[in-house]
Amino acid sequence: MSTLRFDSVSHDELARMSAVFESGAHVVLGTERDGTNGIVQLAAGIAAPRAGRVTLDDQAPHDRAVVRRRVSALCVEERLPEARTVAAAFALALSARGDTRSPQSVLDQAGLSSFATRRSATLSARELRALALAFALSHERPLLLALFEPLSALDLLAEEFVLASLSNAVNAGAIVLATANRLEDAARLGGVIGVIERGVWLGAALPELLEVALRVRTPEPRRLAARLAETPDVLAVEWGGGSELVVRGSTLESIAAKVVESARAEAIRIEALRCEAPSLDALAAERAGLAQAAYERARLDAPNKNQNQIPIFTNGRTLQ
Amino acid sequence: MNDVLLGMRLARERLRGFTPSFVFALSALGAYVFAVIERQGEAGSAADSALEGGVFGLLLPVLAYLLSERVCAASRLDRAVDPLARYGSDRRQALLGVFVVSALCTALVGGVLAAIALFGARAVSDSGFAADLRASVAIGIGVGASYALFFGAASLFGKRGGGRKWALILDFVLGAGSSLFAAPFPRGHARNLLGGAPVLELSQGGAGVALALIGFLCVALSLIRTPS
Repeated sequence: MSTLRFDSVSHDELARMSAVFESGAHVVLGTERDGTNGIVQLAAGIAAPRAGRVTLDDQAPHDRAVVRRRVSALCVEERLPEARTVAAAFALALSARGDTRSPQSVLDQAGLSSFATRRSATLSARELRALALAFALSHERPLLLALFEPLSALDLLAEEFVLASLSNAVNAGAIVLATANRLEDAARLGGVIGVIERGVWLGAALPELLEVALRVRTPEPRRLAARLAETPDVLAVEWGGGSELVVRGSTLESIAAKVVESARAEAIRIEALRCEAPSLDALAAERAGLAQAAYERARLDAPNKNQNQIPIFTNGRTLQ
Repeated sequence: MNDVLLGMRLARERLRGFTPSFVFALSALGAYVFAVIERQGEAGSAADSALEGGVFGLLLPVLAYLLSERVCAASRLDRAVDPLARYGSDRRQALLGVFVVSALCTALVGGVLAAIALFGARAVSDSGFAADLRASVAIGIGVGASYALFFGAASLFGKRGGGRKWALILDFVLGAGSSLFAAPFPRGHARNLLGGAPVLELSQGGAGVALALIGFLCVALSLIRTPS
């Protein structure tokens, strides 16, 4: 069992982050401005924290080469070690990792063999990220995979390859710490979801939306809508004239149960049920609420401290 | 050992390209032209002026600075090996590799520039030319290596290795003297080796030891200040 620990870490956007990630899959929900890239860089030992301590199995990755050798990372901006071609750059990186495989075999595995002879200087940022992700996933015995939005580099890499590689790493006992800025990506990556908002770590809690929506396709939408309108858990039912209803409620499970219950009672056939993705505004509002709650909690946790010592975080900066 | 070699490969890759060769060629031409002009003015002291003023006074420190900037990828010395360290290389060992390439290249530059300046300042048929050439090239190699390590260690300071720039300025300003303040800088010792005013009344042998000590301390400081 490996453990990645952040102890009161402050670095760029991150503000006194304390968190523990154990072997398994973890997703940090947030954007680069929230500090997700900082988390990846610190976890991988690419950067040293300005304050606090980051340890992987009780050793600081930034200070211990032997730990970094078993860590793979994908950052927001990538660059290969200076070399003429991609294969030469991969050869350098593999040597640094102590990996005896050939660069060609690593590229072949990811379906990127056509890049082997490409000059490194001609690569675009998108290609560099795809190559860096392929290299990160090629690690045979990783302790930690720290990946910044790995599902945003899928135009050159197959999603099945990425998800299968992550799954293999988890099964081998590694910590897979990926970031995502969309709930949909977080769900595809799987694992424990934690939220970071403007540098404040909100913990492993998915923001609970005040309202969720379920799309129901049925041949008799009017009858079903009439029945659902009388159900207490359903906040609203929308029918646009087609065969689809949008049912709104507080939790997905409860409104799905009510839809099924109502359809059975009225003997109405349901052709499809689909969860409607929440709007970004709704998600942002929820995350802001969580951030406020975390701030309030911090105030309550430090009753003896001078109020002026409690920082207010906004846009990743400390105002007070 | 593997990481030292990786550091050397990284540094070598950074020195590839047209610009370093072009700058060196331009400097060599400058050293030769300056020496020829000196020779036409006053042939007796042309070699001393060309070496002390042109090569060791201006060209070699500036070229060593530029070379150090290049091998460090215009960043701090400890960050210069990040492209390898992130994959597991030991920063200290990789940094040693960078130092080795940097010192070898600057030593070569120093030796070649010294030889070119001497060829411009004196006729090959002059008595004692071969001995002077050997001595000048040896001084060029030693001072070049010392400057490379000096600027390398200075690159550990500042957010982006700005200490390198300050080291160049301080070497010009303080290194020109002969007092205690000049002792930590290669300039005064190079001048001593060429027969100029010594720093702290050191002998020429002492100046050579001082240059070696500067290099050693710079490497030691760099290794101490850089995490694994």
